[in-house]
Amino acid sequence: MTVTENPRTYKYVGTRPVRHDGLDKVTGKARFAADLDMTGQLRGAFVRSPHPHARIVSIDTGKAEAMPGVKAVVTGADFADLDPTHPEFDMAVNLMARDEALYNGHAVAAVAAVTAAQAAAAAAAVEVEYQPLPAVLTIDEATAQGAPIANPTNRTLFSGDTEPSNLASVNEFGRGDVEAGFEAADIVIEREFRTVAVHQGYIEPHACVADCGQDGRATIWASSQGHFAVRAKTAAALGWSTDRIKVVPAEIGGGFGGKTTIYLEPVAVLLSQKAARPVKIVMSREEVLRATGPAPATKITAKIGATNDGTLTTLQSTMYFDNGSTKGFGALTGAMSVASYKLPNLQLHAIGAVTNTARSAAYRAPSAPQAAFAVETLIDEVAQRLDMDPIDIRLQNAVVEGDATAMGAPHPKIGFVETLEAIKNSDHYNSPVPEGAGRGVATGFWFNIGEQSSATVNLNEDGTATVVTGSPDIGGSRASMALMAAEELGLAVDRITPVVADTESVGFTDITEGSRATFATGMAVVNACRELIDQLKARAATIKSVDVGDVEWVDGAAVIEGQDPLTIPEITAMAKKTGGPLTATASLNAAGAGPSFAVHVADVAVDEETGRTTILRYTAAQDAGTAIHPSYVEGQIQGGSVQGIGWALNEEYIYDSDGVMENAGFLDYRMPVASDLPMIDAIIVEVPNPSHPYGVRGVGETGIVPPIPTLANAIAAATGVRMNSLPMSPPRLLAAINERADG
Amino acid sequence: MATVHLQTDHRRFTGGEKVLQVEGDTVGALITELERRYPGLGPLLTDGASVAIGGELIPNGVFEKVDEATEVYFVAPISGG
Repeated sequence: MTVTENPRTYKYVGTRPVRHDGLDKVTGKARFAADLDMTGQLRGAFVRSPHPHARIVSIDTGKAEAMPGVKAVVTGADFADLDPTHPEFDMAVNLMARDEALYNGHAVAAVAAVTAAQAAAAAAAVEVEYQPLPAVLTIDEATAQGAPIANPTNRTLFSGDTEPSNLASVNEFGRGDVEAGFEAADIVIEREFRTVAVHQGYIEPHACVADCGQDGRATIWASSQGHFAVRAKTAAALGWSTDRIKVVPAEIGGGFGGKTTIYLEPVAVLLSQKAARPVKIVMSREEVLRATGPAPATKITAKIGATNDGTLTTLQSTMYFDNGSTKGFGALTGAMSVASYKLPNLQLHAIGAVTNTARSAAYRAPSAPQAAFAVETLIDEVAQRLDMDPIDIRLQNAVVEGDATAMGAPHPKIGFVETLEAIKNSDHYNSPVPEGAGRGVATGFWFNIGEQSSATVNLNEDGTATVVTGSPDIGGSRASMALMAAEELGLAVDRITPVVADTESVGFTDITEGSRATFATGMAVVNACRELIDQLKARAATIKSVDVGDVEWVDGAAVIEGQDPLTIPEITAMAKKTGGPLTATASLNAAGAGPSFAVHVADVAVDEETGRTTILRYTAAQDAGTAIHPSYVEGQIQGGSVQGIGWALNEEYIYDSDGVMENAGFLDYRMPVASDLPMIDAIIVEVPNPSHPYGVRGVGETGIVPPIPTLANAIAAATGVRMNSLPMSPPRLLAAINERADG
Repeated sequence: MATVHLQTDHRRFTGGEKVLQVEGDTVGALITELERRYPGLGPLLTDGASVAIGGELIPNGVFEKVDEATEVYFVAPISGG
């Protein structure tokens, strides 16, 4: 279902063609990094720390190097010695420990051997002498007075402090006078919220193949969200120039932010260089869970004030985010995402903590779901106390264009009100709540970004086209690039082949993150097509012996008054005689990304004997700006919702007292499966982004933000129990229900 | 000259001032002037902040032109997942 503001009619944009990569994906022909095999290829394996924090006294690789099939061994000493202020220092140290192992599972050495079994056996034979050090595993431990230092290289960002600290970042921002706001409020509610670390849960483990030649150049085939970033990060970790590295993007089996950084590639390159043979490394699921970035655990206190008419007067919050073993901006983006309401008085403290757990990584709207859990739960409580409709209270306080974001800058054109109204007018919201069930509502916001993209559009001899970009196709960008090119050129979408090219075959392109690919790379495609249309018009003018100013481009053809139109195949067939191949390239640093809002509603039933929550019905509305390929947009909305549902109800990292993750596998790390879920009904709201030629906003991330508070609010409505900590899993919810009964 | 809005974290350099009139015809020139007035502030604005002008996030916007009517906000860097 789509709700559109000022609908425009497009011929191709907004249609739902079969995805260009679909057949290969469903027939198993698509090649992921783990599918690749090279002649003479070796397999790599890691040695990982069994301690959450330890000094590495010595590493003896002699026994491992003498084992059958072993061709190379590397340790931290083989990598570039970056200064801690280098922007890639933390990434480089995370992929191979230097002086200290900073978490259980931290790589300390790696081996390449002829077979995977030989590599694993040799890795087990590497002798590492550790001196265990005190570890901090939680936000509370890290921020306690006199806490041991988790990472001696960490300094609090931009503090000017020169001493090691467990605080990665400390930020405060806001506006107005929060105390005056609380004074003016009739209702004040304060709560503490806790969330645990969760993983992005991509189905494809990290994998790569690296082949280093005798000329000192390497080719890497990798699964990533950005192969130019793989090149840059690998170069930094090795101390190489980027021209020595070519990265070929493999298909990607999910990333969700977790593949915006790297863990394998520099290791594979070094092993390949030492062994003079290609090296493939494929992580196990256990390694993925133990050693790649989860989303941060959090501790959030939040206090809200409102008047009896439902006007929110004040919000004050302190948000601690667990960065894991290194610094990061997680806390800050979490606090910044509190941007949905006209709060005249706002005070936010954002604090990033460093612990001896796996380095956290981006996860779909990074840090916003945890912040929304706190804020949207409090607003629900306010609405409940005032006996107000939960949509109406949000409509009353919703930001519109020109209202301030959390950091003060005004919102551009946004569609929050329209998205709230889409849910308010939905069949779901206007249907009665099933007997015994509870209904919850919550909203979410994400900024979205632009950044750098490049595209080349080539017209082939027969008038078909190839659209070449550098954005890995995570969520349907091939199809959206082809659709925008089709709309521009007036060429049928099935005559356009979208290609994701390697780092030597297309201009620099930033990572596919921040919901930017269809927005920014799409703009590059549009610009290249418009350049190509100018060329087509010039060629038509040559063919027809008229002035180029007399040529118009209409629906895929050059139109000259009084003459038959010239189609693209007719022009490309004459290319050799009119100036050569028709090709155009565009690159840009895209500004004007359009923020996206989402509103979700869920009906749940809770079994009060087991604590199990069953979702009976779930509807998600989101402002896409313009849906280039509505099926993909619906898929993004549904996917984000499902990941948020898993985060809310079941997923959690469980550590023992030694920092060992006890549930490092999908049997014990409980992600939602199809039988856990109802159909997620997606409503696409279209309030076009004026900064994009087709009005695109990013759609990939916002959908994960509302589910946690949506379900928390629904559970509260069903049971009367407010769950302020995650996951709301059966044992935890049952305990809370029993506590309510006892109380 | 443009109007510059600073975050709370920046205000420790400016004695608490949150909105400043700053000379310069680009964002980079504004940062240079702010660093001259408040030593230590510049790196926070170049390395630790993004620029928003008129509600639009400008990535790496140091060369962005500004004039007397421009409202410049330095906000935290944003990426995504």
